[in-house]
Amino acid sequence: MRELRFDGVSVRFGSRGHRVTAVDGVDLTVPAGSVVGLVGESGSGKSTLARAAVGLVPLSAGRVTLDGAPVPTRGRRPLQMVFQDPYSSLNPRMTIGATIAEAVPRGTDRRAEVARLLALVDLPDRMTRYPAELSGGQRQRVAIARALAGRPEVLIADEITSALDVSIQGAVLNLIRDLQRTLDLTILFISHDLAVVRYVSDTIAVMYRGRIVEHGPADTVLADPQDPYTRELLASTEGRSR
Amino acid sequence: MGRVLRTPLGAAAAGTVAVVLLLAVLAPVLWTDAANAVDTGQIQQGASADHWAGTDSLGRDIFFRVLVATRLSVQLALLATALGVAVGLLLGTAPLLLGARAGRVITAAVHIAVAFPGLLLALFFAVIFGVGTTGGLLAIGFALAPGFARLTHTMVAGVAGLDYVAAARIAGVGRLRVLFRHVLPNVAEPLVVNATVAAGNALLAFAGLSFLGLGVQPPDYDWGRLLGEGLGAIYLHPEAALAPGVAVVVAGLAFNLFGEAIAKGVGLERRLGTSTSRFRRRPRVAPDPDDSAMLVVENLSVGFPGTTPVRGVSFSMRRGDAVGIVGESGSGKSLTALAVSRLVEEPGIVEAERLSFLGADLRAGEHRRLLGTSLAMVFQDPMTSFNPTMRIGRQLSEVARHHEGMDRRAAMARAVDRLAAVRLSDPERRARQYPHEFSGGMRQRAMIGMGLMGKPALIVADEPTTALDVTVQRQVLELLASIRAADDVAILLISHDITVVEQVCDRVLVMYAGRIVEDLPAAELRTGARHPYTKALLAAVPDMTTDRELPLTVIPGRPADPANLPPGCAFAPRCPLADARCATEDPELVENAGARVACWHADVPAEVIS
Repeated sequence: MRELRFDGVSVRFGSRGHRVTAVDGVDLTVPAGSVVGLVGESGSGKSTLARAAVGLVPLSAGRVTLDGAPVPTRGRRPLQMVFQDPYSSLNPRMTIGATIAEAVPRGTDRRAEVARLLALVDLPDRMTRYPAELSGGQRQRVAIARALAGRPEVLIADEITSALDVSIQGAVLNLIRDLQRTLDLTILFISHDLAVVRYVSDTIAVMYRGRIVEHGPADTVLADPQDPYTRELLASTEGRSR
Repeated sequence: MGRVLRTPLGAAAAGTVAVVLLLAVLAPVLWTDAANAVDTGQIQQGASADHWAGTDSLGRDIFFRVLVATRLSVQLALLATALGVAVGLLLGTAPLLLGARAGRVITAAVHIAVAFPGLLLALFFAVIFGVGTTGGLLAIGFALAPGFARLTHTMVAGVAGLDYVAAARIAGVGRLRVLFRHVLPNVAEPLVVNATVAAGNALLAFAGLSFLGLGVQPPDYDWGRLLGEGLGAIYLHPEAALAPGVAVVVAGLAFNLFGEAIAKGVGLERRLGTSTSRFRRRPRVAPDPDDSAMLVVENLSVGFPGTTPVRGVSFSMRRGDAVGIVGESGSGKSLTALAVSRLVEEPGIVEAERLSFLGADLRAGEHRRLLGTSLAMVFQDPMTSFNPTMRIGRQLSEVARHHEGMDRRAAMARAVDRLAAVRLSDPERRARQYPHEFSGGMRQRAMIGMGLMGKPALIVADEPTTALDVTVQRQVLELLASIRAADDVAILLISHDITVVEQVCDRVLVMYAGRIVEDLPAAELRTGARHPYTKALLAAVPDMTTDRELPLTVIPGRPADPANLPPGCAFAPRCPLADARCATEDPELVENAGARVACWHADVPAEVIS
C-alpha cells in the first residue's frame, strides 16, 4: 500500500517560441489505499499528468514519488496504468494470454498467474483468444488484468470507460471498485465525466488549464464547490440528469 | 495470399516469379555445358535453328547463356535486397532502441541519404568497394538501405506511438522485446511488400552495373554483362542483346508486379464488398393525402453485403418536433439518420415502404436542392466537417450561393447573420477566420449555423456533443433547443447518451440491433419505460444521485452483432426476463396509449428487473 505524490509537477512541450505548458505546477497526493478522482475537460492536462507519472512523458519540473521515493523505471513497476482506448492498448497480433504473461514478473508461474488474473477480471478461459475476438468491455478488462500482472500497489486509470458503450461502462466501473477494495489499491481515476468520478472516488481534484483548481473530499467538493469552473462543471452535469 | 493469386495480375506475376526462381535453380545444372561450349566455327552468328539467339564472339550459344545466367542474376539481386533490407531495418529501428537523441542523428543521416538517387549511390559505393561482384553487391545493397530505413522508421514510429507499446513499457518489457513482439509483427506486411518490389529494382540495378562493366566480371556472367557484350553487334544481329534484355525486363517486372499484387491484396482485406449503392423501391402503400407529417419513415431498412444493420424502422415527425434516437454503437441509429438524409454510401442499400420529407418521395429522383436547403446535418466531429483551408464565412456563404443563387455579398451578409444566430461573439471577425482558429464548441455552432443558411425544416444531429466537453455540451444543446423554439425547426437527435436525448427531445426512440424497441415521450422515460433494455440503459449510467455504496446496474453480455442475430428478440440473450418465446419469436413493435414497445414482457413492473 503506497502513497502517490506529485510535487510541483510541470510538463512543457515544444521548443522556445512555441512552448505549451500542459501541466503547470501540480501538487497532488493520492493517499495509500484511496481513490482520487481527477476531473477536467479535454486539453486540461489530465492525461499528460498520468503519462508523466509512469514515465511516458518527461517532467519539466517537480517530481513524482511513491512513499517518498522516485518511481522506479526498471524492474518491477509498482505503478501501473490502464489506457483509454482498449482498441489501441492491446497488440492485435498477440493472444490476450501472451499480452498478460509479458507483464508478469519473472520467476512466477506465468500460466497460473495469467489464469488467476483473468479470473480476477471475470474473463476465464480466454487465454488463447486474440483482441479482435473480444468486445470493447472485455478488452478493457484484459487491459486491467495486464496492469495488475505486475502486482502494482498504485494504479492510474486514464478515461478507462469513455471509449465504451454505456451498457458496458457500468461493469468496468464495478470491477474497478471491487478490485480496489479487495486488493487495497491506491488509484488515480481520471475522467471527464463528473458523475463517473463521483461514483468511484473518495477525493476529487478538478483540473483546468494545467492546474489543479479544486481538491477535497468528494462530498465537500460536490456540495460546496469553490472554483467557478467546478461550479460550471457541476451545473452542466446536473443539467444532464435533472 | 490466396486472394492475391485469385486476381489475374497476381496469378500471372506469381507464376512468372516461380518460373524465374525455378530457372535459377535448374538452368545451371542442365545447361552449363551447352552454355560454355566454344565453337570457333560459329562466331557471332545470328539466330538459327541450332542457336535460337545466335552465338557470341567465342561461338557460345547465347540462349543457353541467358538461361544459365538466371541463377547469378537472381542470386545477386536477392542477396543485395537482403543486405539492403537488413541494413534498412537496423537503421530504421535504431531510433526506437537507442532513444531519442542518438535516434535523431541516425534519422537525419538517413534523410540525407534518401535525397540521392539510388543508382548514383550505387555508383558511388561501387567506386569505394571496387569493381566486381562483391563490390556491386555491397553497392546495390547499401543503395537500397536508406529508402527501406525511412519506410521502416515511419512505420515503426506509427506503431511505437500506440498505447499497447506504452503499456508494455510500463509493464517493464525491454526495448528489444518491444521491438520484436509488438512493433515488427505489426509493420511486417508493408515491409515484405516493399522488399519484394525492391528485389525487382535490385535486379534491374545489378544488370545496369554489370552492363557498365562495374558489376560481374569475366569469366562469370549475368544478364547485364550478356547485354553489354551483345550490344556491340546490335545492328548485325540484335537477338544477342535482346535475349538478355528481355530476361531482365521479364524478371524485374515479375518481382515488381508480384509485390504490388500483394500490396493490393493486403489493402483488399480492409475493404468492404464492391457492389454499388442502390435505392430499391418497394411497392408503394396507398398514399396518405391529409398528411401533416413532415418526415415519414415506414419500414426502412439499410443493408450491406452480409448484414442488415437497420431493419424495419418506422416513425414520423411533424414540424417543430424533437425526436431522439438512442442506442449503443452498432444499433443502427446513425445509419437511420444517414438514410433519412440520403447519405448512405456504397455498398449500402436503402429500402423503405415510405420515405417522404416535406411531401417529396425521397426514394426516387434527385433531391439535392430540397435536402440542401431544408435539411441540415450536424456531425459528431466538427473538425472534419469543415474544409481546413477555407474561411468559415466563405464555407457558409457557399451554401446560399449554390442553392439559392445569392450573390457573394448577400451570401456573406447572411453567413455573418447566421453566425450571430448561433451566438458566436463578434461574427464578422469569426467569418474571416479559419476552422482551426475555432474551439470545438465554436466549430459545432458554426456547423449548426451552416445548416441554418437555408430555411431548414429539419436538423439531423448525429452525436453533436460527443466530442465536446461537458460544459460546452450543454451550450450546444441549449442552442439547438432555442433554434427549434424560434423557427419551428424539427430536430432529429442521435445519441448514445440517453440523458442528452432526454434533455432536448420530446420523443425518444430506443434502438437495439437495428430495430426500434421502444418509442415513448421523453417525459415518461424515467417512469413509463416498459422495455427491459430502456430500463437497463437508464439504470446503467451513473448520475449525481447514484448510490455510491451499491454496484451499478449492468447489462450482461455484449451488444448484438448485426451480422449474427438470434432468431427471436435480439435483446433476449442479455435480458433478465427472457423465456423460451423470446428466443424464438421476435416481438412486433406494438402501439399502446401514445407509446410503442417491442417486448413480450412489456407489462412486467420495473422492480422485477432491478
